Amino acid sequence: MFEVKQAGDRLQLIGRLDASQIEVAREAMSRPGAPCVVDFVQLEYISSAGLGMLLGIQKRMVETGITLKLINMNRHIREIFRMAGFDRIFDIE
Amino acid sequence: MERSFERDFRALGEIFEFTGRFSEAHKIQASLGNSINLIVEELFTNMVKYNTGAGHPIRIRLNVDDGRLRIELIDEDVDRWDPAEAPDVHVDQLIEERRAGGLGLYLVRSIADELTYEYENRKMKVTVIKNLER
Repeated sequence: MFEVKQAGDRLQLIGRLDASQIEVAREAMSRPGAPCVVDFVQLEYISSAGLGMLLGIQKRMVETGITLKLINMNRHIREIFRMAGFDRIFDIE
Repeated sequence: MERSFERDFRALGEIFEFTGRFSEAHKIQASLGNSINLIVEELFTNMVKYNTGAGHPIRIRLNVDDGRLRIELIDEDVDRWDPAEAPDVHVDQLIEERRAGGLGLYLVRSIADELTYEYENRKMKVTVIKNLER
């Protein structure tokens, strides 16, 4: 199960972001005017497919001078970001 | 535990139900359960992507023996492709230079204690060993 919800000034990723759910996340995050703050508090799991999707969005945003802010990651997901070196690429709070 | 899955990303939901039952049966903590899911997903999706000529389901076998978790993925009638030889990912690159390719296998190698590959009679078997904390 995976879904994306907008809650005020942030996007919430909910459930499990695996390779079969990438298009759902990409579509929601690429929408014009989509918030740049992404809340991971209800995200249980992410794989390299999710990381790659976030990298693509971040690359496009950097060209316009905006960056994603990723907040409320659980310990496991934070460790995956660290292993991948993505903690140096993303603004993680 | 062992089961075969259709070679389609949409099988991931069923795969996670399978790994979840395994983790529950062996009282595996949530963080290790997530690592099992990650290893299985990365190897499975690579087989689906790169073993393109194959039509058989992919077999996944999980067991715990003497403090070692063993994860095996078996794919039949496929060409040779060794995930252990995949190029390293440069995690210190700047965002402009980073590419997503190879990241999944890099994560598997980072988490695993052992990663082995066997290929015989067009049958490919990838085995990951993870030592459990005692």
